[in-house]
Amino acid sequence: MTPRDTASDRLRDRIAARFESPALRWGGIGLILVLMAVLPAALGQYATVIMTNALLYVVLALGLNVVVGFAGLLDLGYAAFFAVGAYTIGILTLDFGVNFWLALPVAVLAAAIAGVIIGGPTLRLRSDYLAIVTLGFGEIVRFSARNLAITGKASGLSGIGQPWLFGWHIATPTDFYFVFCALAILAVVVSLRLENSRLGRAWLYVRHDEDVAEAMGINRVAVKLAAYVTGAIFAAIGGAFFAANLGAISPESFSFTQSVLILMAVILGGMGKIPGVILGAFIVILGPELLRNLGELRLMVFAVMLLLIMLFRPSGIWPKRGVRS
Amino acid sequence: MKVLTKAATAGALLALMAGTSVLAQETIKIGVLVPTTGSEATYGQDMANAVTIAQAEINKAGGVLGKQLSMVVGDDACDPQQSVNAATKLVSQGVVAVVGGYCSGATLPTLKIFGDAKIPFVITAANSTKLIPANPGNAFMINSTGDDQATKAVEFLGAKGIKSIAIVNEGDAYSQDLATLTQKSWEAAGNKVVDFETVNKGEQDYSAIVTAIKAANPDAVFWTAYYADGGLLIRQLRQSGYQGVIAVGDGSNSTKLFDIAGKAAEGVFAFSNPTAEFLPAAKDFTATYNSQFGTAPGPYAPLTYDGMELIADTMAKAKSTDGAALITALKATDSPGWLAGAIKFTDKNTLARSNFIVLVGKDGAWARADQ
Repeated sequence: MTPRDTASDRLRDRIAARFESPALRWGGIGLILVLMAVLPAALGQYATVIMTNALLYVVLALGLNVVVGFAGLLDLGYAAFFAVGAYTIGILTLDFGVNFWLALPVAVLAAAIAGVIIGGPTLRLRSDYLAIVTLGFGEIVRFSARNLAITGKASGLSGIGQPWLFGWHIATPTDFYFVFCALAILAVVVSLRLENSRLGRAWLYVRHDEDVAEAMGINRVAVKLAAYVTGAIFAAIGGAFFAANLGAISPESFSFTQSVLILMAVILGGMGKIPGVILGAFIVILGPELLRNLGELRLMVFAVMLLLIMLFRPSGIWPKRGVRS
Repeated sequence: MKVLTKAATAGALLALMAGTSVLAQETIKIGVLVPTTGSEATYGQDMANAVTIAQAEINKAGGVLGKQLSMVVGDDACDPQQSVNAATKLVSQGVVAVVGGYCSGATLPTLKIFGDAKIPFVITAANSTKLIPANPGNAFMINSTGDDQATKAVEFLGAKGIKSIAIVNEGDAYSQDLATLTQKSWEAAGNKVVDFETVNKGEQDYSAIVTAIKAANPDAVFWTAYYADGGLLIRQLRQSGYQGVIAVGDGSNSTKLFDIAGKAAEGVFAFSNPTAEFLPAAKDFTATYNSQFGTAPGPYAPLTYDGMELIADTMAKAKSTDGAALITALKATDSPGWLAGAIKFTDKNTLARSNFIVLVGKDGAWARADQ
């Protein structure tokens, strides 16, 4: 656990130090926002669709980061919450004719309840056992979706309408790109605020030592539940807009691989570090797409790249300071 | 020497660039949306192979509208998200038509993308009835749907003089869908469904179901799910002394059914989408496929070959590669003589006539029963 200062770490710290000055930091943020705004016009529809997908994973990875990175609870069934959000929107808008914006809070509520359901019994569990239970939960949700009549069984739901927002019909890929831009920015802001909040400190404490944290007066149960519920809400919002964007959802979208992909984004980028997680999300989505021209080899090349990253940067590409091992 | 090499390289590069730009001007790009990675990659690759053969034959015969065809494969990985990416990429690469579509779930969200871009999409394998209402008008399904299989089953069993049937499914979307569709049209035809059972996938002992079926004593038993469990059920039915007709859906038409059921599978009827070995018209295609890829064509190869040929034929007829013109021309298709039979579309762009064929178990293999 001795901190090790490699050349790349020093370089990163120097770059980070440059951005300590507020002017540069805001300048950087401004530049990113401008780039985000002009991307659809500059790069065309294919790039827009891929970026929309990447931004969805930014939201999902930031949500999982609350559970895994902040609170230190390994969750292998995170796609379940994503599914709850997507299916709630699908069922409410299709079967009950509810407006998308009215269905959205219900989806969030449903995911929060799911968070409590999974959080409740698992609070006594630690490490491997927790991972197994969450994995089971993910599979239960997927199998329920596969077998229930209301979720359209194995063929899923289709014909989910695109929402209107004050006379703006969110329908084209570019519209959805901007919606996901807004969601990603919102997720980043919420994550930053959470990290520095009283709750964020409590998560940090629980992550490092549960028993000491409890001895210091932190309500371990409430804090862990809060992490699950927060993560679930992120996923549900992502899932809701995902359903509206694709117009069709099926159980294949919420498989174990999906949970692993999101977890991979978090671990690859650097657990607990918000810019790292964003970077991780972009890598897991854009990587296979950029390699699309390689045909069948692309997944193998991508896997080798991931292995190399993990070999040379075991705590992620952009880890949190002080957690390097 | 060095200068010479450099000049040669530059020359070669230039030639290459000129070559590709000439090619880019002259070819008509056809998109192929199939899973080439993931669990369904075997089927996707098989479909892509079929398109390769069709493309080579069309180009050899002079291409279409004086131009050569080129194919762009988009890997949908049988995953809805990946398929959206792949479809958008195909659109951005300027394909004039798309052929393919294996997994219904992954094909569904692409309908809108190709619909918005006004690109015709000939779906050659995916056949969920959910695709029909989601079709914006540009997609054409040349594989018969579950409805068609149910119709074929009712028609075939009815012609055998059967009055009462028992239907057994496995509780998944595909087999349950087929079971309920068959039940509906069987009863609509004035016949009786005396037993409707759902079994659990992977069960070993079917004695409870066998007893129930024997008690109901139907003229025929229709198994709508897959061969692995179907084989066991058939064996146990015959062992218990059941003498009636047994029919299975297209999930069970594998030769593996004979490995599992043994002699009990003799005389069992199977409904099947048109596979190459049972299509007299596909003889040459099968030979070409065998020599080029070293294996027999898979279940959707003939249909996918037909799909590519249909697109080329339609472009020639419409004298255009414009999406709207092609869609109008495709709607009007009414021609016999494709590998899998005639193609004519209903007003919902599905096949007007079911292309399901009926097979019968004979000496441990399938043979055509309806010819």
